[in-house]
Amino acid sequence: MEKTVYAVRNLRLCTKDCLCLYVCPTGATDTENSIIDVEKCIGCGACADACPSKAISLMPIELPLPQEKTKAVVGTLNDMITSKSYVEQSARQIAETTESETLNLLMKAVSQSSRIIAEDLNREAGFMLPQSENTQKVLEELVANPPSTDFPTETAKKLLTTIKFQSNSNNNN
Amino acid sequence: MQYRCSVCGYVYDEDKEGVPFTELPDTWQCPWCSAPKSSFELVEDIKAEDHPTPASSTEPAQHTEAVHHDMQKLSVGQMAALCSNLARGCEKQYMPQEQALFNELADWFTKSTPQVEDATVEAIAKQLQQDLNDYKTVDQISKDNKDRGAQRVCVWGEKVTRMLSVLVERYQKEGDAMLQDTDIWVCSICGFVFIGKEAPELCPVCKVPAWKFNKIDRRK
Repeated sequence: MEKTVYAVRNLRLCTKDCLCLYVCPTGATDTENSIIDVEKCIGCGACADACPSKAISLMPIELPLPQEKTKAVVGTLNDMITSKSYVEQSARQIAETTESETLNLLMKAVSQSSRIIAEDLNREAGFMLPQSENTQKVLEELVANPPSTDFPTETAKKLLTTIKFQSNSNNNN
Repeated sequence: MQYRCSVCGYVYDEDKEGVPFTELPDTWQCPWCSAPKSSFELVEDIKAEDHPTPASSTEPAQHTEAVHHDMQKLSVGQMAALCSNLARGCEKQYMPQEQALFNELADWFTKSTPQVEDATVEAIAKQLQQDLNDYKTVDQISKDNKDRGAQRVCVWGEKVTRMLSVLVERYQKEGDAMLQDTDIWVCSICGFVFIGKEAPELCPVCKVPAWKFNKIDRRK
């Protein structure tokens, strides 16, 4: 049977009861770095069922397509991202130049917080999944038209070859 | 009467506390998230607001037009957050190599973000106020388009922005005394900022446990 899921272990939850080692038919769960061997895993789910700490999840190999976003929502979220990016950069500059220890700490917090909010907004503006067609298009655009001569184009190229992208046209039914 | 914290939702119940809210000192803070007294609002008509009218059957179908990304519109600063977000997406799926590559891109965009000319605390305070206002529009558009994910990002983002606004204003009043003998923490999930010796047990905004908070390091 073709493998449709693979097991992943959350090391934060794992209590090393090691029942996954007893039940795994291929030895995929027994590794030196505790990360389940994706190649060996056959996706049977025995480890997830046996784990007393619920530290193992089964992830589908093919993820469903992300929810479609409307133009209006993406537009308004992008406006907010612009504003968060302005605050992030302003706060970073103040943190770097201020003599005040307190202002330095506060501005580092404001900058970090603004980035986290902007990341979250990006997730809702069509960039939830690294495997999505939207992500693929952005990377292709960066490779085709690098924003400047020192842009790490090779990094973007590498991502295009290693990520297994979804295709909206193939996957739609 | 009851008063609710607009940042974390903590309810101050006068009947239980025995002290009228108005008689609390101005220095009184929310016991959950440390937001100031001024961020509390009287609980009235909240029930009516919390139960929006059921979705009408005449929903406009034309709003469901899917949109694909147009990169021309995104600035360098926006690209930084886009790439670091995708790095997080890879981390969650146990894709460490891709995570590192997206972080490389994010770092490049961060360092290539143009300098803001007028980077002042006042300008930041003003922008945060503007954002609080703009969140109402974003939320309304999300509701009109029945996008609950976008509504969720508004709920978190508005609360965290309110806290940032409160803290920046506090700094403007108190100056360097503000962070004496205490630390400052940022929730790595929603961005909530907390001042205290320890991170809160649960994030008042997104409810993740204390270990999801980053402590901001002092210089040198």
